[in-house]
Amino acid sequence: MIQYAAILLMMIGLYGLLTNRNVVKIIVSLNILEIGLNIFIISIGFVYDGIAPIITSTNNSSALVFVDPLPQALVLTAIVIGVGTTALGLAIVKSIYAKYKTLEIDEVEEN
Amino acid sequence: MSAVLLIAIPLLAAFLSILSKKLAPVLLLLVAAANIILIFFVPSGIVVIGGFDLPYGINLFFDTYAKISLIVVNALFLVVSLLNISEHKKMSSILLVSLAGLNGLLLTGDLFNLFVFLEVAGIAAYLITTTNKKPLSTFNYLVIGSVGSILYLFGLMILYGMFGTLNLMDMVYSIQNSSVAYSSLLLPFFFMFVGLGVEAKLLPFNAWVKGILKHSNTLSGPMIASVYAATISFVFGRLITNLFQFEGKLLLVVTILLVAGVVIGEAMAFASTKAREILLFSSISQACITILLFVNGIIIWAVYLIIANALSKLVLYLVVNKAAKQTESDDVEALQGLFVKNILVGIAFTVAALSVMGLPLFVGFVIKLNYLTNLVLMDQLLVVGLILIASLVEGIYFVKLLVKLWFKGDNEIDVKFNVSYKLVFAVITLLIIVFGTYTKPLENFDNGIDTVQDQIEVIYHG
Amino acid sequence: MKKLLAFIAVIGLGVLIILALDTNYQFPAFGYAYLPDRVSEHYITKGSDVDIIFGQTLNPESGPANIVTSIVVDYRSFDTLGEVTVLFISALGVSLLLGSAVTQKRLELEFKPNFMLRVGSRALFGIIIMTGVYVTLHGHLTPGGGFPGGTMIASAMLLLYLADDQFRAKIKSFKVLEGVAGSFYVIIGLVGLVVGTYFLSNFLDNGVVGDLLSSGIIPIVYILIGLKVGSEISGIIDNFLTEEETK
Repeated sequence: MIQYAAILLMMIGLYGLLTNRNVVKIIVSLNILEIGLNIFIISIGFVYDGIAPIITSTNNSSALVFVDPLPQALVLTAIVIGVGTTALGLAIVKSIYAKYKTLEIDEVEEN
Repeated sequence: MSAVLLIAIPLLAAFLSILSKKLAPVLLLLVAAANIILIFFVPSGIVVIGGFDLPYGINLFFDTYAKISLIVVNALFLVVSLLNISEHKKMSSILLVSLAGLNGLLLTGDLFNLFVFLEVAGIAAYLITTTNKKPLSTFNYLVIGSVGSILYLFGLMILYGMFGTLNLMDMVYSIQNSSVAYSSLLLPFFFMFVGLGVEAKLLPFNAWVKGILKHSNTLSGPMIASVYAATISFVFGRLITNLFQFEGKLLLVVTILLVAGVVIGEAMAFASTKAREILLFSSISQACITILLFVNGIIIWAVYLIIANALSKLVLYLVVNKAAKQTESDDVEALQGLFVKNILVGIAFTVAALSVMGLPLFVGFVIKLNYLTNLVLMDQLLVVGLILIASLVEGIYFVKLLVKLWFKGDNEIDVKFNVSYKLVFAVITLLIIVFGTYTKPLENFDNGIDTVQDQIEVIYHG
Repeated sequence: MKKLLAFIAVIGLGVLIILALDTNYQFPAFGYAYLPDRVSEHYITKGSDVDIIFGQTLNPESGPANIVTSIVVDYRSFDTLGEVTVLFISALGVSLLLGSAVTQKRLELEFKPNFMLRVGSRALFGIIIMTGVYVTLHGHLTPGGGFPGGTMIASAMLLLYLADDQFRAKIKSFKVLEGVAGSFYVIIGLVGLVVGTYFLSNFLDNGVVGDLLSSGIIPIVYILIGLKVGSEISGIIDNFLTEEETK
């Protein structure tokens, strides 16, 4: 169920990327695409009746049934990379506005 | 001397370089030069990071293929930095990070690590293109590059769900020894191919190339078209040779895409009247030819093609960008008669262009002859025919361009190239002519330079 | 027309992906991932034959009780180094694009925050910083670590920026902190190369699983990452909320 929702989010983000003409909306669509991908990655590691992969004083042995910790570590990296790209994208949007005074791609003549 | 120093020292220099703006360019040149010297002292083999056993940690892979690609990319990077550093001092830290990212891409043996370094090198590239002062083109490049990386990660995660590992050697071993139906591998391979293809300028994912390279300057043009293009082609070669198995329908689709890229690239170059547009479309079709050779298993000639193209495109882009900066336009009409007063530069440009075309006496001819022969031996006659037609078209437009640039037009054109440029041009021209006539050293290497399969044999069966 | 084509293409792609994953027998269904088939089994058992018990196991292969932390900072530490570099270069790019003017002043907005907001936010600032420091320090025992902790510290700075329209932090010291923290991370890796023969190897003792002072260099690395992330994101916030000073 969750994997269908994740793929739906990715497709919504992709549709937004293909049809939007406002640069801020393009960045938002890119973020939705990344969120969909992150949810999909985490869902690969799920185990029914598994617990969070931390050894604590109540779940104190490594022989219990844990969910897969590796996709969680990968998503941590992917989220931070997404944040970096979004920050850079918004800075470029600010310089587009400063140069052309508009945020629509169609109004910018750059050829 | 460990191979990891090639990545760690540029990173350390990048972190330290923001503390002092004055020393940053000096640090950049020192580290780039030190990197080249360091490559010769690194022993061959697998370097494990952190000391853990193989599939659980990350490893770097240093064999002959990696050594050749590292030497080429680092040398080109040093040349481009040397020529541009006085003009773009603020870019020093970014160039250091870019150097670390490029080296990481070529050395890594882990697929998720490849994604991380692809992003590092990618973001550095977006920032280098901001020197073009065209923010919308940079924005396009950022969005399309991010979508490419996301698709690559999506394909990689499907492979992880199927086989449970992220290490390149482990993944290849699992795929070869499992009884998985080929149809279930189609989707992840295709997504990973598309993801890397966006950066490698393959059709139809190269919408960003026109905006970026059309308005390039002497820093971003050679960096994107020569250094980055060579790196991505080398990475693609490593993955295609070992990981991707193209059979049946997927092979047909990929071959059609690549051949279409070659033909359309040459056709658009023919139809253009601006010098930088001609060069960028030629770059696109050469990249498609390189990947086509890797898909067919002709590894060594693909590697030589990458090196020859990187050197030739460096010369071509430097000449055109420097001229375009001073004349404010890159219409071929406006650049007429460029070489009348700059004979040495003209000779270098002509040699590089003729080498890309594949005329005898230059190294491009030797490479073209050999890879066409190999393709014919594999019964790929249709592909050979289309490449020959495309080469004919390429010959026509390059000759047209050369004629325009050599003979004086209506306006007086006065472009000065300083001594450092002329030195670089002289060295590269010499290399192209020497290897075009004395081809003995080229035959020292063969398809066995990529040793991932051999290492798998040693680790898992030995 | 173009929107309709894009819609059909996207729906088609989604259906294709779902069908391909459903018919893929090797790809496990949701919830039925079998961990012993994957490398994650080694990360959970830390490569030993006996079970790891909280508060008792001494010096395992990888110290943290939080298995995700042991993957991020110990087994796959090189990926974390690359990730830290991505954030570094994004912050550098933002300051290059937006902060190039010699003098900067705060952006003029229409909303003017009032006195209560300005004073109240200073009270909250201390609590948020403490939470961020707690999450950073306990990264090897509870979920969290350097990345969320650093972001919390940066959000405290954002609170001060939003609540007071004349507030500007000392950006120069942030840049110095960022550069020094990053170089220390690489230097720790190089020390591991010299002392332990592998880059980024854990050269301190791993201690008992579950103690605050355990897992060798991992808490130190997380503190460095927390400082770096906090100062970088604060720098990004400052660059977005300032503009060139026009006389």
